Amino acid sequence: MKEIKADVWQGTLALMVLKTLDTLGPLHGYGIARRIEQTSGDLLEVNYGTLYPALLKLEQEGFIAAEWGVSENNRKAKFYKLTRAGRKQLDKAARDWERTTAIIARFFAPEEAS
Amino acid sequence: MRSLRAALVRFASLFDRARLDRELAAELESHLALHVDDNLRAGMTAAEARRQALLKLGGVAQVTERYRARRGLPWLENLIRDLGFGLRMLRRHPGFTAVAVLTLALGIGANTAIFSLVNAVLLRPLPFPDPDRLVLVWATDTKAGRMEDVASYPDFADWKAGSRSFAQMAAFTLRGMTIDGPEETERVRAVQATPGFFETLGVLPAQGRPFRPDEGEPGAGRVAVLGHAAWKRLFGGRPDVLGRTLRANEEIYTVIGVMPPGFRVSFSPGPAEQIYVPLLRDPNRNHGFLRVLGRLRPRVARPAAQAELDRLTAALAQEYPDSNASTGARAVPLGEAVAGRARTALLILLGVVTLVLLIACTNVASLFLARSVARQKELALRAALGAGRGRLLQQMITESLLLAGAGGALGLLLAHPAAALLARRLAQSFDVPRIESTGTDGGVLAFTLLVSLATGLLFGSVFSPVHASGPLDRALRESSRTSTGGVRGRRLRSLLVVTETALALVLLAAAGLLLRHLWVLRATPPGFQPGHLLTASLVPPDKKYAEAPRRRRLIAELQSRAAALPGARSAALLTNLPLTDNWDSLGFRIAGQADPASGEPLSANFNVVSPGYFRTMGIPMLNGREMTPQDTAGAPGAIVVNETAARRFWPGKDPVGERILLPDEEGTDQTWTVVGVAGDVRQMGLAHEPHPEIFLNALQPTPAWPMTLVLRTSGDPAALAGPLKRLVRSVDRDVPVMEVRTLDEVLGASLAEPRVYALLVGLFAALALALAAVGIYGVVSYTVTWRTPEMGVRLALGADRSAIVRLVLRNGLALALTGTAIGLAGSLLVVRLFTRWMPGATTNPAWTLAAVAALLLAVALAATWLPARRASRVDPAIALRWE
Repeated sequence: MKEIKADVWQGTLALMVLKTLDTLGPLHGYGIARRIEQTSGDLLEVNYGTLYPALLKLEQEGFIAAEWGVSENNRKAKFYKLTRAGRKQLDKAARDWERTTAIIARFFAPEEAS
Repeated sequence: MRSLRAALVRFASLFDRARLDRELAAELESHLALHVDDNLRAGMTAAEARRQALLKLGGVAQVTERYRARRGLPWLENLIRDLGFGLRMLRRHPGFTAVAVLTLALGIGANTAIFSLVNAVLLRPLPFPDPDRLVLVWATDTKAGRMEDVASYPDFADWKAGSRSFAQMAAFTLRGMTIDGPEETERVRAVQATPGFFETLGVLPAQGRPFRPDEGEPGAGRVAVLGHAAWKRLFGGRPDVLGRTLRANEEIYTVIGVMPPGFRVSFSPGPAEQIYVPLLRDPNRNHGFLRVLGRLRPRVARPAAQAELDRLTAALAQEYPDSNASTGARAVPLGEAVAGRARTALLILLGVVTLVLLIACTNVASLFLARSVARQKELALRAALGAGRGRLLQQMITESLLLAGAGGALGLLLAHPAAALLARRLAQSFDVPRIESTGTDGGVLAFTLLVSLATGLLFGSVFSPVHASGPLDRALRESSRTSTGGVRGRRLRSLLVVTETALALVLLAAAGLLLRHLWVLRATPPGFQPGHLLTASLVPPDKKYAEAPRRRRLIAELQSRAAALPGARSAALLTNLPLTDNWDSLGFRIAGQADPASGEPLSANFNVVSPGYFRTMGIPMLNGREMTPQDTAGAPGAIVVNETAARRFWPGKDPVGERILLPDEEGTDQTWTVVGVAGDVRQMGLAHEPHPEIFLNALQPTPAWPMTLVLRTSGDPAALAGPLKRLVRSVDRDVPVMEVRTLDEVLGASLAEPRVYALLVGLFAALALALAAVGIYGVVSYTVTWRTPEMGVRLALGADRSAIVRLVLRNGLALALTGTAIGLAGSLLVVRLFTRWMPGATTNPAWTLAAVAALLLAVALAATWLPARRASRVDPAIALRWE
């Protein structure tokens, strides 16, 4: 993980946040952090704290919106949800991602006899 | 789009920081609570659960810091914080701030003031469409070394016909015309121009039409285009002016057009031209009198046009070797040609004030460094708390920019009236084109801003204590006064003082040379007695006085009636008044002598004077007599030569009785006999050695007419100005009287240019000297403070107090001497520049340089003396206890 550059990490993290909110619906920061940690395995060995500036950035860009609410175990928490712009951004990012991985995959595919 | 939205949100957040901080705190608290709940469920103890949650979060303070960096605009917040801190620092040290701001204000203000002039005279575009394409084509004479000469009509016509670089070309000449004004005959500025002139400039008459091509041929009807002011003044601005007539130079002109307001061709101080008349074809290739104007075709560069002109003039030189053998052409941008001599002068002044600003910068940098020791601990502390070196530098630069900004603002306030004053002063002194338009415009503001910024960055970054104090953390470990951390700063300050001393000396040298030059000029006897003399120029109409006898009668009548005015003692007329930069030269031969081997005739300046001229001017006759009324048209021609001519042409001989041969208007030689030798007069100005000069008798056939009147009075000459004007009007009301001045005024005017330069450069040099003195005082007194404990030890060990004084003096003087030595080397450059700029200044610069160096050292000594005395009064007990 350490080899990944900070901005790449920030971009990846943002994408994971959007995807998480898309899958699970409105969720608080702690929940998002746990979800990303579980999904990515031991890849997310960083502090949960790094999540908050990323959430703030997405909120400033209008991709997510925040609202105070109450958690399932009755704790006050700030819930984030995907906005319409965020959904569009996620679709676009997913497409970009697929295209990129497809190209890279073809690039690294075992050479066929020609 | 997204990033713009984000930026706006971030900017908005700056105004709601407290609430947003509370909200973040709440969010992080809730995050921890949720995590602790999970950990408890996983079976941890309460304390362990919270510890693990905190660990995983990564520290509340750190997260908050990173969150805040994303939330707001850190650079803006830093800037605001730096500005606030800087302002507090400056307020807390009012003495430092006042000295620094004032120093910078003087430096920046001086630059702004001079730049205002440069802007008005050199930089503002000329008021013609597409002025960058306009050039003035000077004729050149390589043999005579003239680079800005007038061209002849045939040359102009050939250039125009043969060149393809110019879309348009026209020639013109500036001249005076005598017109019938509303009240009396007056002399006004006028332009004679070839057809196509207005088209070349790109400004057509607002009413009527420009000249037609046939109106430039001899024999065409006389037409005139009026200037806007002349239309208002002479015709009351009436709309039906076209087709009306106007009497000018005794001829009737038909008005065919009126120029728009603001149009002018001559940019010398004074009103715009009033009349534009066609210039007629003149077949004489030897008669140079034209300025040629060209408008370059689009996409033709000036060098290409120049190359074409070179080819053309080379061909003309082959074709007309008699007249054009050494004639060339030189195209210069019209703006540059308009600025003329003022260009060099202003650029030199700009150089001078740049030096002043450099000195001001050095001084403020030195002040900054002095504070660096005091601030080292503060800086080290901030570095230890996590501020990066870049961040500290940013803080320092913010502070210096604050100072420079304040200095610039104050400088602008000072510069505005100063520039107006300078412009007025310069316009009075000599011909600086377009100087009346001096003012503070966008260009000047931009210049001031730029200079202030550059100044702030210069002393803020280059001389910042962040560099000067070495490793920052060391300062924390060392005690302040005995620390060696100041050594580098002290060395840098010494270097600064040496630099500013050297710069100040260069300026002083320039001022000294100019002052000395002025002094020498003022001590130069003009060759006549200027007190109690009044002069006036008369312009008799050419046609009315075409016949010589009639003209001679006018001269005789004017002379006798002027001499008879109450309060007048004698009067005379002459062609060219001394000291006015006017002269004519003439080729002649000496009777009975073979022509010189070169084949060219001897040449001398000549002046046509009426009898009584030498007595009236108070020019001594060294030998023989002056002309008398008995030397009439019928009598043998009588001439007077000056001393230089006598020595040059008749070495070792008395010229009285010798004869010379002068060609008259038809080209046949006339014999003139020398009747007297007069003392030399500085005809071409006090700075110029007298040339050989021959005085012809106005009452005998001469090639020119003497129309400058001089009047010797018994009392105040200015009191006779009115009576003299009335007298001329009563003799002939068609003769305009101009330039009624006393000879003392003429003498003063001939010194105006060197005086104004000496004044300006002297002023700036004095400023530089004062700044250098402050700089030396500052560094020496700082050293004294720094070495106080050492002084205490020396005194305690029995050192003499005078030895302490000597020690400190030596320190200060060493700096001053080094600076002076370097400055002297730089001054040699100034001497070279000066002799090129003011040819005729022949004084030996060595004494001047020695004098200014002595002055500088004396001031340095005084500036060192004060801290030295303070050092000698150190109480050893206090000094030793200081630690």
